[in-house]
Amino acid sequence: MYLFVEQLVNGWAIGSLYALFGIGFGLVFSTLGILNAAHGTYASWAAIIGYYAVVWYGVPFPVAIVCGVFGGGIIAILVDQLGFQPLRSRRVGLLGAFITSIGFWIILDSLAGFATGQQSLAFPARSYPNALVEIGLIKVSQIQLTIIASLIVVTVGIHLLIQRSRIGAAMRAVGWNDLAAGLSGVNSRIVILLTAFLAGATSGLAGVLGGIATNNVHFSLGEGLMLKGFAAVVVGGFNDVRGTAIAGIMLGIIEVFVAQYISTAFRDGVTYTLLLGFLILRPRGLFGSASFVRA
Amino acid sequence: MAESPEKTVMLDIDNVVKRFGGVAAVGGFRMKVREATVHGLIGPNGAGKTTLINLITGLFHADEGTIRFAGHDLQKMAPQDIAALGITRTYQNVRLFSGMSVLEQVMTGCFLEKKSGMFASFLGLPSARADWRRIRDHSMELLRRVRMDHRADELAETLSYGEQRRIEIARALGSNPKLILLDEPTAGMNQAEASEIGRLTHELRDAGLTILMVEHNMGLVTEFCEACTVMNFGQLLADGDPRTCIANPDVQEAYFGRKNDATRIQALR
Amino acid sequence: MEAFLDFWAAYGSTVTFSMVNAFFALSTYAVLSAGVLSFTTVTFAAVGGFLAANMVGNFGLSIYAAFFLSAVGGGLASAIVATLFLRLESHWMALASLALVLITRVVVLNAPGLTGGVYGKVVPMSISQLDLLILLVVVTFIFYRLHNSWYGLTARAVREDAAVASTIGISPFRTQFIAFIVSGIVGGLGGAAMAFTLQFISPETYFVGMAFTMLASTVLGGSFHWFGPIVGALIFTALPATMQAVVPAIEDVAKGIALVLIMVFLPRGLIDPRAVGLRRAAKLREEREKRAAGENANG
Repeated sequence: MYLFVEQLVNGWAIGSLYALFGIGFGLVFSTLGILNAAHGTYASWAAIIGYYAVVWYGVPFPVAIVCGVFGGGIIAILVDQLGFQPLRSRRVGLLGAFITSIGFWIILDSLAGFATGQQSLAFPARSYPNALVEIGLIKVSQIQLTIIASLIVVTVGIHLLIQRSRIGAAMRAVGWNDLAAGLSGVNSRIVILLTAFLAGATSGLAGVLGGIATNNVHFSLGEGLMLKGFAAVVVGGFNDVRGTAIAGIMLGIIEVFVAQYISTAFRDGVTYTLLLGFLILRPRGLFGSASFVRA
Repeated sequence: MAESPEKTVMLDIDNVVKRFGGVAAVGGFRMKVREATVHGLIGPNGAGKTTLINLITGLFHADEGTIRFAGHDLQKMAPQDIAALGITRTYQNVRLFSGMSVLEQVMTGCFLEKKSGMFASFLGLPSARADWRRIRDHSMELLRRVRMDHRADELAETLSYGEQRRIEIARALGSNPKLILLDEPTAGMNQAEASEIGRLTHELRDAGLTILMVEHNMGLVTEFCEACTVMNFGQLLADGDPRTCIANPDVQEAYFGRKNDATRIQALR
Repeated sequence: MEAFLDFWAAYGSTVTFSMVNAFFALSTYAVLSAGVLSFTTVTFAAVGGFLAANMVGNFGLSIYAAFFLSAVGGGLASAIVATLFLRLESHWMALASLALVLITRVVVLNAPGLTGGVYGKVVPMSISQLDLLILLVVVTFIFYRLHNSWYGLTARAVREDAAVASTIGISPFRTQFIAFIVSGIVGGLGGAAMAFTLQFISPETYFVGMAFTMLASTVLGGSFHWFGPIVGALIFTALPATMQAVVPAIEDVAKGIALVLIMVFLPRGLIDPRAVGLRRAAKLREEREKRAAGENANG
């Protein structure tokens, strides 16, 4: 029973990372219409930035996270402005932006390789809170609690931003119809920059927390998150952050339990089969409302 | 000018409803188009005319009602099957294929007219090559009819708007249709070019085609259409002879908001 | 002659690999030219590759018979994929195909009897460069014929505007289904060619890296003519190899930067028939204006 509950919390924490990562990916896809292959590298870079902030400057844990989050956000804005902005006027569509993002993926990935010396790094043990907290009958590490709480805060925050604020209404308008948004006086430039920043920042948060939790800061950290985060977005539904959050947690729990009670060999297979099943049978995901039908 | 009663009904639209997110773009509309006539469809912007054409050609499916063409129920048929029955169209905002020459556009329009199979064409069998030449000659003939044959080898997207409209008409004629739907065929044309399109519709009608034409140029409608239907807010407003239709006070109100603005109607004519 | 031999010693394998990559690029082009962005070539290649490896290794078939079976296997796989995927709207289609690539790796990992699982599979035969070249020429000729036949015209129409094509009487589903079958056959052949070239294949051989390389090659060369993917594959394979000789450390970075620059400055790729038409139109317009000016001057 203890094992069961502990694994449940483990799965929840892992799934929260997938969801944190997926939220930004889904946001960019539904708002800007870009399938961004470079999204994973924001997480890798955020983890690397956080790591060097700790190792070189000895900053405390929260500051390291803030450094990583802002680092991820700024890289995302740079990628958007250098790579995607020139394409916007040309109507090259999904394919053009996707190829460009592959280019940035290759660039940022190999630069991350240099930054880490192709090594696997780990945050110094005392640089982050890692004590075990007793909750009822089980013990949970502080970092896991941080991850779980982060996802809740980010999900609620972004959901409120999109649904309640003026800029959120503008984001929905741009996602629905670029032209209509322009006509209704929405400054699409600000929407684009904000969306890119939020995507990079959430991906970065997932990267720093993931790097700490797995004790492994590596240049390909983002790739692992990419595949699972992508699954969370599809299963949850692209245009609803709550869907992504719930689906991510679900996938994390399913993964841990499949590995625990069935076989580690099937762990990834179950996730990807769910992913494909949803794409074919219910492309708008569990919680997505509308599809991307454009005449 | 009254429509001759002996002409059979070719297209019968009955009580058709199409909603987009709760708003009815077409709400219980009905009209009949008789064989070998030039039929005008008019109405203010946003009246649902283009939606209706999309419904007839199968790009949209109606929520309620029936659309019948020459004895076939078009409901739930795929666009390519409707085209095979003999309905083709042009588009309000010209939709030619990017990257294709003028001749290629029209040859693509002849897709249903080809007699050789795709595989025979791939293998380059002599019969398929002969068929390809036949289609090419036929396409050139169609281009001659719209006076675009001298630009056959040029990239269609580099030509003027009026020229592109004429190419689109030639493409729609390629499959040898029974009914052709022209969605604002003279938009962006001057009076001389527009009259030319009007004369072309009469030529086609005399050859046995039925033409349904969405048109904002009232002069053109009164001059060339034998029948006319007015649409407003997705519903039927008036029906019958073009002159009587346009003179109808409801129609004038729909277009101008006020019943007595006679000078502006005069200007429009 | 000696210079040539030196060149061949240094770059012979690059030429071989660019030929292999040309199959994948052509397979991607096959669907892309009918308006479908799909990564499933990787799956077709995996089917072809492992099929060929088993046929040669376990059943002692000749290399030619193995190629034939790989093409059939790739074609069958593509028929299944097309039936499932073609109902999806284009964005979802691209995502689903990416998911299939991920699943392909999981399947390959978990079927060690057929694939060697994690340890991969040794392929006990290799293909000569001449045979590879002949096969590529045959495949290219097929694309040339497709391009200049009714299929080519309908595929272009469906790609540019599927709705308009359907109102002309062209079935987008049928056209894209044929495109998938061609993609499957060529992808299967490419998978086998890869197996016989590397002589060792593993789950990592047919994975995301391959998906991105082949798509990048196609878009770089140009996806509006069959010659584009071949040129793209050659450049995209040769570029890292030559870069490595000049600046070994930043090989990958340079590859990425090249990709971004091409998309920004040449979004339709190096081989673009439409650009030729546009240039011709500009020239015609200029001549017409000159003639009109001349007439004015005379009159």
